[in-house]
Amino acid sequence: MLSLFPFHQQFFRPNSLQTHPHFNLNNPVWWRRQNSVGVVRCNRNGVEESKSYYELLGLCVDASPQEIKDAYRKLQKKYHPDIAGEKGHESTLMLNKAYKVLMKDDLRKQYDASIGKISDNLRGGSIWEGSLRPQALFVDENACIGCRECVHHAGNTFMMDEIFGTARVKVQYGDDEERIEISVDSCPVNCIHWVDTEELEVLEYLIQPQAKVGYGIYGQGWERPANVFMAAKSFNKQLKQQEENQQRCTKSTDEEETPAQAQARESAYRELKVGRFARLWSWMKRSTSQ
Amino acid sequence: MAEPAYLVASDSETTGEEKSSSPFPDIAIGIDIGTSQCSVAVWSGSQVELVRNTRNQKLMRSYVTFKDEIPAGGVSNQLAHEYEMLSGAAIFNMKRLIGRVDTDPVVHASKSLPFLVQTLNIGVRPFIAALVKNMWRSTTPEEVLAIFLVELRAMAEVQLKRPVRNVVLTIPVSFSRFQITRIERACAIAGLQVLRLMPEPTAVALLYAQQQQQNVHENMGSGSEKIALIFNMGAGFCDVAVTATAGGVSQIKALAGTALGGEDILLNMMRHLLPDMDSHFSTRGIDEIRRMGLLRVATQDAIHKLSSQFNVQIDVDLGNGRKISKALGREEFEDVNREVFEKCESLIKQCLHDAKVEVEDISDVILVGGCSNIPKLRNIITGFCKREIYNGINPLEAAVRGAALEGAVASGVNDPFGSLDLLTIQATPLSIGVRADGNSFVPIIHQNTTMPVRRDVIFTTVHDNQAEALIIVYEGDEKAVEKNHLLGYFKITGIPPAPKGVPEINVCMDIDASNVLRVFAGVIMPGVQNPAAPVMEVRMPTVDDGHGWCAEALNRTYGSTLDLVTVQKKGAH
Repeated sequence: MLSLFPFHQQFFRPNSLQTHPHFNLNNPVWWRRQNSVGVVRCNRNGVEESKSYYELLGLCVDASPQEIKDAYRKLQKKYHPDIAGEKGHESTLMLNKAYKVLMKDDLRKQYDASIGKISDNLRGGSIWEGSLRPQALFVDENACIGCRECVHHAGNTFMMDEIFGTARVKVQYGDDEERIEISVDSCPVNCIHWVDTEELEVLEYLIQPQAKVGYGIYGQGWERPANVFMAAKSFNKQLKQQEENQQRCTKSTDEEETPAQAQARESAYRELKVGRFARLWSWMKRSTSQ
Repeated sequence: MAEPAYLVASDSETTGEEKSSSPFPDIAIGIDIGTSQCSVAVWSGSQVELVRNTRNQKLMRSYVTFKDEIPAGGVSNQLAHEYEMLSGAAIFNMKRLIGRVDTDPVVHASKSLPFLVQTLNIGVRPFIAALVKNMWRSTTPEEVLAIFLVELRAMAEVQLKRPVRNVVLTIPVSFSRFQITRIERACAIAGLQVLRLMPEPTAVALLYAQQQQQNVHENMGSGSEKIALIFNMGAGFCDVAVTATAGGVSQIKALAGTALGGEDILLNMMRHLLPDMDSHFSTRGIDEIRRMGLLRVATQDAIHKLSSQFNVQIDVDLGNGRKISKALGREEFEDVNREVFEKCESLIKQCLHDAKVEVEDISDVILVGGCSNIPKLRNIITGFCKREIYNGINPLEAAVRGAALEGAVASGVNDPFGSLDLLTIQATPLSIGVRADGNSFVPIIHQNTTMPVRRDVIFTTVHDNQAEALIIVYEGDEKAVEKNHLLGYFKITGIPPAPKGVPEINVCMDIDASNVLRVFAGVIMPGVQNPAAPVMEVRMPTVDDGHGWCAEALNRTYGSTLDLVTVQKKGAH
């Protein structure tokens, strides 16, 4: 257990290496080169090393064990030394470590807690600088062409997602209003939108690319709704409908459905509701702690 | 299992041309060197094919005879009769002897073989010799294996019409890393480069993964995960593996194995038929060797017959007025070998437990190896797993076919039809650790850890101003350190003067996909960024023959002066 912990810290706080000398020894690159001067540099350079386990496997934080397994196998087929040769060694070590942690409930909980605190660039929505405002910024990543203009003008608000080559909002109102205005205007494809704060959470959730199930090695990849605003509308509608259904059903008699059905539906509804609440809650917490 | 005719040497020229202009000239071949039989297979461009020798055999006896000037192995040599192999001139069962010391019970059990296995019981390599013109001519298991591999290589080169260099070999699960180095040495003598060494059941698992993948393609069915239990028992070893298969990826969950096989069953039966066998055989004259051969062949026949019939009559005239005439029933056979079967069952239980898999989760039970025909064994396994045995795999060819698949995958061959869209994710069969905390074994990489892997544990000194520390690396799963296999040792020097418990000694172990183990050790003083002395990188194992002595000698010379204790209590389990 303990030996895993330094590992997180190493990957999420590269700067802490100076204060914890023995973490140097954990650095795989260091072992190969035996050159401690390069420690911090190597850490920064290694793209994979700065990613969270979820990013490494291309998953969202609430991925199911089955999704983790599938992603792990797919990536192993690409990076395992049997296929990629010697150079696959380091990546496979990372994959094995990530898989081991994410597949064990207790280790995953511990890990989730550790990244919740230190990782701020984890996919899962923007955070708020200062108090909540009625309007929020949202980048339609489908339209974004990755020109970096917005990041150039308001670097505290926008960030580039290097994996997908698109910009997104890192911190709401991270820069002063003037800079934000300039950056919104600078977008050549007008993909930065002012949206209602209530809508933001659903939009940010839906714009996250979801792994597409492939067939063999073909057809895998990522997909997201083509029109995220329409998708958000129908998502909200569904949610509302379900809420109404729920109310109607509890009011009316349960005779039409068996107790098991009712229970299943109830738990599905609760999951949806709780999931939504949890996301809102964590978002609130993050914004207040700023 | 009809094989295409091109494997026969006299086949048409055109097929031969096709072979030599193959787009993958360096594709590794798969070799399964069994204790009793051996086979070679290769990816032909569309499927795996077994390579046949000039007598059109796919499975060849594993032995080397020294009766002529030039030693000849079972690939090229034709036995006039089974007794010829038992004349004392032929060495066989080398897989059971390789890399073992003369205190090993398996070596002692081999003393009833017709050739000479001499033990001095001091922890060194046993003396092995073949009877040539009434003289004991010494050899080693490595040498015998190398002669045999040279023949296999020559046969494969003739059939494939290209030089063969890279090989994937299957090995028993229970092989220690020291034994693996002996196998690698034999390959090196034979001019073969070991690309991968696969525990036998994991090779079977890869073949199974390919079959599942093909089923999914054909039926367009769901490619859901399937858990398979693989049980492999040959003449020398018994191995179990649990694998999770999906999408052509076979992920080994757990491995278990021991040196137990048909040879032990045979020996039990011979002792049962002739209780004073060992005293009969102690002087090892030509007549005694011949008599032992007669008994061995008769017992072997009886065991084979008992797989299909319930009773068998044994009549063997050992000469010297000694005759054995006995009716043997299947029940009696099962009773004599009860311990063997019990051990098999406990191995399966252990493996399932280690894999954290319940019997109900198993999709398929695969039984392979020479002992897979024994009814009792089949009953035990079907009874325990509550499932019929998977019948899509040839039990005698499964391991070598899997090895050939791995050879093609690891050689970078792609198949347009996706037949090689495969991967085995291996696990470590044994834990690896160091001696620390007094005389304890502290594992750094645990058993059944997914490979490749890198783990580290931090130790510290036990004495004030301790300037040096000894890192003694062991492999195994016994608590008492001396019961594990010693892999090597080295000393860390230049630890700066400090009170005990202050310096941090980080020992890191790295196993790559070709199963190479590297041990790193470095010293860090608190508050200092750089290591206090250059870091050591040692490729293990470093021990050579006679290693049984090393641990004892180290202990005698240094006592506890260079000891270490753990700082972090055992890393992640």
